[in-house]
Order: sequence, then structure tokens, then C-alpha cells
Amino acid sequence: MPGHRTKGFCASALTLALCAVLAGCGGSGESVGGGKVVLRYTWWGNPDRAERTEQAVALFEKQHPNVTVQTSFSGYDAYKQKLATQAAGGDAPDVMQLDYRQIDQYASGGVLLDLAKEKATLRTSEIDPGLLGTGRVDGAQYAVPQGRGTETVVYDVQAWKASGVPLPRLGWTWTEWADAVRALARKTGKPGATDPGQSEDAFEVWLRGRGKALYTKDGRLGFTTDDLTRWWTFTDGLRREGAVSPAEQTTQLDGSVENTPLGRGKATSDTNWDAPSSGYLAIVKGGVALAPMPSGKDGTPGQYFKPSMFLGVAANTGHPKEAAELVDFMINSREAAKILGATRGIPVNETIREETASQLKDFDKTVADFQASLEGTLKDPPQAPPSGDNALQTTFQRDYDQVSYTRMSPREAAENYVTEAKAELRS
Amino acid sequence: MTTTDIPAPTARPYQPAGTPKRRPKREREGAAWVFLSPWVLGAIVLTLLPMAVSLYLSFTDYDLFNPPRWVGLRNYVQMFTEDPRYWRSVITTLTYVVIAVPLQLALALLVALALKSMKRGRAFYRSAFYAPSLLGASMSIALVWRALFNDGGTVDNLLGTGGWVNKPGWALLAVALLTVWQFGAPMVIFLAGLQQIPAELYEAAAVDGAGRWRQFRSVTVPMLSPVLFFNLVLQTIQAFQVFTPAFAVSAGKGGPADSTLVYTMYLYDRGFVASHMGYASAMAWVLLLVIGAVTAVLFRTSRSWVFYASDADGGVR
Repeated sequence: MPGHRTKGFCASALTLALCAVLAGCGGSGESVGGGKVVLRYTWWGNPDRAERTEQAVALFEKQHPNVTVQTSFSGYDAYKQKLATQAAGGDAPDVMQLDYRQIDQYASGGVLLDLAKEKATLRTSEIDPGLLGTGRVDGAQYAVPQGRGTETVVYDVQAWKASGVPLPRLGWTWTEWADAVRALARKTGKPGATDPGQSEDAFEVWLRGRGKALYTKDGRLGFTTDDLTRWWTFTDGLRREGAVSPAEQTTQLDGSVENTPLGRGKATSDTNWDAPSSGYLAIVKGGVALAPMPSGKDGTPGQYFKPSMFLGVAANTGHPKEAAELVDFMINSREAAKILGATRGIPVNETIREETASQLKDFDKTVADFQASLEGTLKDPPQAPPSGDNALQTTFQRDYDQVSYTRMSPREAAENYVTEAKAELRS
Repeated sequence: MTTTDIPAPTARPYQPAGTPKRRPKREREGAAWVFLSPWVLGAIVLTLLPMAVSLYLSFTDYDLFNPPRWVGLRNYVQMFTEDPRYWRSVITTLTYVVIAVPLQLALALLVALALKSMKRGRAFYRSAFYAPSLLGASMSIALVWRALFNDGGTVDNLLGTGGWVNKPGWALLAVALLTVWQFGAPMVIFLAGLQQIPAELYEAAAVDGAGRWRQFRSVTVPMLSPVLFFNLVLQTIQAFQVFTPAFAVSAGKGGPADSTLVYTMYLYDRGFVASHMGYASAMAWVLLLVIGAVTAVLFRTSRSWVFYASDADGGVR
């Protein structure tokens, strides 16, 4: 009967479709043939970092024959979105690299494993307690930093020296910095620095120099409209004088060194993180040097050693012990450290850091020397920024765009930002 | 009324005398559903279900990690009363639609007219003018566009404009020009429409002493108005949803000073950068309603300017 045939066809078509749906849903951290443990490990970064990481992972697999590690990496923006989607679907990788700005969100979202549960495997005794504390949320250690970085005034050595303006020194103040960029602008005919007004990072350094912070301990806004108005009035004034980069240059900043005014040969200095500043070597002919960030009027340092990358373990991993072993290997293994070099910043394990310091070369060494020069002078890093901070960083740049294109006064923009920030932190 | 004059029998579908054979028809329908099932499943799973979920999410606070929390109309209230950037994105989008759509349609019509009067090589030029529409959807062209209009870019060197993409007053125009340049689809439709216009009409107009401009105004435009209307609706709907050109030309930021932060860019920003999926869903539903309303208005006004030849002929042709 044709009718029956149709029904049968319907049923089998439906079964097929269901099979396809079911096949799509596999568990995370499953074991495959031979009882081997399979771990997924993801990070963001460039191909150089990927190559060195793959080598380290291969060594780990050799030492742990029962473990296979599936790795994947991408650029930061893509990584951030992919990880968010995976985590929302309960499918976070067993071991994942995390940014300082993601920890709070993922920890409070229940995505991350409390690492205290695996402390027999994962040793943290050789990490500076202040730095280790940056991976804590509500008293629990959810992530371990892999390296540390700090803000720097990176400058074109040749151009600065030729201008005759005194070189920056440890402990210089924001006023001295402003005088220097004004003098540079006069002598060189181009802005002395990137306009730091757009950078939440630079604002944080300035704010800490005044004894305040971006966020309070309970994750509220740690500054007022007046503070931000003062900062933006300061940078906006310098921009109007031509001492820092114009709006058309500043708006092109996108996190890459190539698109900074210094990288384009349109300014003498920039404020940036230390390790990524290696990118300037290839494009600034006069060579670059790293100087400390300016400090507050009374010499209070604003910059701090920021944990640059974290490793976390998924709360729902099937193999917490093996995942912890991998994290321990990446942080505490001498062989791994040798392979990885400073690709994620200077190692956090203090014994290893001292051992490898003499072997560092080129810009790795410049960064290490710069950090050594600041050792002991800086204050403890702030705790992990609250969840909303991820979005606020962009808002900060946008609102300052309105100031530098003279569409809003510093006060109007600051009021906008504080209103948005309060709404963001409330939700 | 002409419709009542139409003889009834032909208006009804053919019905065989004495209809005992109902089952075969049902079976045929069943088979149709089986063959349709991949599409129907796709439509339900990939379109209807996500739409229903996004409608639900628009009434919640959802950050992708924690379960959605019901907040009633808060997202909508915040959007309309507490978010100045939202309104800036609305104005930016309207400005973009008003610039890009007329420019694109005018260019498409001009090129179609030129192509129509060509004696030789029409196929070649039609393909050549269509090519940007194929390329334009790609990210790479949008990036080239950014380079063209950046400071030190080609346009800057030729005209000394100093980098449109970094000037709040000009950046949106650079984005619009990228869309305008992709006039291939409306052009092909215009061309088809132009070729449908009977040559007798032009001959008659010429006999009556109409010049080229007069012929264009009194023959081409009215005869082409249904096609013009079709293109207008289609391009308007697309322009409201513009994303890729704005994203690429502003390097993903909607800058400078929010001048290219069009609606969908801000929606993307709220959803995927700020992790406010509930707010982004609410924005998406408002956009859907607005596009629906604008389309309805266009349809309403079309009654007064769109001319259907079949109406005039009483449906005889």
C-alpha cells in the first residue's frame, strides 16, 4: 500500500534526523580507545606562541603517556567569543587560557574549577603571593597566572635623545611627563606621545598614583565623575596644545603596535604593555627603550605587575587530576619554561625566573631588565576586575572619542561614562 | 466591477465529476511533506525556534553564563529612555539608509539605462558591473575600502581629503559608498524591467513629439515603477540591516566618535562584546518591528505612485 510506504518513509526520515542531532552532542573530556585520557587545551596568541606551546605540550604527552592533549588557538577576539559560547553550552575546554578580565565572569558563572581541590598536583608555592592572589575570586583560587606584564612608556630612543629633552627616569610624575611631551613636540615638530586619554589602562595608572582604584573591593566603581573629568581635562588640554596625538590618530588605535602614532612615525612615545612592545623593534628605526609610567605627585607609583595570562580548569572536566597536571607542567616545569621562553611574559615561578633570567635574549631581556628595575617599588595589583569591565574598556575609548573630536566636554563625557559604568556593574 | 463579469467556471479549479477518490490526494500531500521535511525541519530548528527563544530572551537579563533572569520590559525601557548611544545608533542608521538607498538605486538605474541602449557587448558590461556585488560581500573588499579612504590612502593622495574613515562627518559616507558601489542586483532587475517596456510606447511618444527626457519621465518611469518599488523595498530592508561594511570600514569599532555605529553594530556590541544577550535580543525585535513598519508605509505610499500596466488595461493583456 502506498500509504504504508509513506508512513514508513516518514518514520525512517525522522529517525535519521534524530540520529544526526544526537550524534552532534558528545560529552566533554571523554576517554577514547585504550583508556587514554583526552584533554582539550585552548589559548589565544600568535603563531610563534602556538609553535612553542605545541612543543611544550608534546613534551607533556611524552611524560604522561596516558594523556592526549587536543590543542587549539586563535586571535584574542575570536577566542573570547568562541570560549563564551562553549562555556555557555557547558562545553568549556578542560584547560583554558583566560584573561584577567574574564576570571570573575567565568568563576561566578560556575565555569571554573576551584583549584584548591587539586592542590596536591598543582603547586603554587613558588609564585609571588600577591600575583597568585589575582587569580582568586571570592576567596577561591580559580586560575593561575602564567606570566606578568606591566605598563611602560615606550619611546623612540634616537628621536628622544636627539631632541635634547631629559630622558624619563624612575619616579617621574605626570606633571614632568606632560612637560616632557610638550618639549618633545616643540623640538621634534610632532606630538610627544599617544593621547593616553583613550586608555583605561593609563587612567588606572594615573588613578592609582592618586591612591584610588578603578574598582572597589566589592566590585563597584572606585572613582567619581570628578576624577575622570580631571583626567580627561588634562589629556584633552595636551591634545589641544599638540603635545599628544590628534583625534584622527588616536581613534585608529586597535591594540596593535602598527597602528599607534609611534608605530606610524607620528609621535615619539607611546604608553603600552611591556611584552607586546617588542613589535616596535621592527618598525621604529631609531630603536625603542622602556621607561616607567609616571607616578603621582607624591611619588606614589600607579603601575603594577599585572598577571598577563591565566590558566583555568573547567568545572565539569572529566579529568581534573590530569588537567591540573597539565597546568602544573606549564607553570612549574623547567623544561617547559625553556621551550616557552617569555612568550607569555616573564615566568611566574620565581625559581625558574631566576634560573632563566641569564638565558633570555633580545627583547625578552629588555623586558626582564625593565621589570627588574621596578621590582620592590610597586604596589600590589588590584583584584580581578568585575564582570562588566570587559565591556567598559570599549565604552571608555568611545566616550573619549567624543572628547577628542570636541563633540562633548570632558565633564559631559565623564558623566556619560560613570552612568554607563554604574548600570553595567549593577547588572 | 470587472471581476464579477468574469465567467465563474474558469475561476474555479477543475473538479472531476463525482469525487470519491479523496485518499490519493491525501497521500500525495503526505509525500509532499516528506519531501519538504528537510526544509520544514530547517525552518523550525534554525529560524522559528531561535526567533521564539530570542523573543523570550528579550525579556530577560542573560549573560551567556548564568541562566536568563526574567526582567519584564526592563530591556525595552532602558533602550528607549536610558541609553543615549542607542538613539545615536538609530540616527546613524536612518542617515545611512537615506544616503545609501537613493544613491544606489539612482546609479543602478543610470547604468541599466546605458546598458539598454548598448548595441554590442551588453552581456560583458552587465557582468562587469555586477562583479562588485559578488566581491562586495566579502570582508577583504571592505578592508581594501578602509585602506582606500584612510589617511595616506589612495583617495587621500588623489584628493587630499585626509582620511575619511577618521573624520566623524565623513566616515559614514565612505561606508555608504561601499554599498552604493554594489548596485549589481538592482541594476540587473532594472535592466530586465526596461526590456519589458513595449517599444511601441516609445514610438508613439516620439510621434507625439516627446523628447528623450519627456519619454523617460512619461513612459520609462511609470512603466518601470513596479520594478522601482520592488528594488526600493528590498534595498531599504537590506540597508536597515547593514553590518559588514560598517564593521570593516571602522575596524570593528563603529568609530570615529560613534559615527559609523549603525544599529546592527551596536546590537553586536551589546550581545557579543558586553554579553548582554537579553538587551541585544530586545534590540533585534525592535529592528524587526521597525523594518516591518517602514515596509508597510512604503506599500501604503506605493498606491499613489506605482503604476501596474495590467490595472490600466483592465486585466486583458
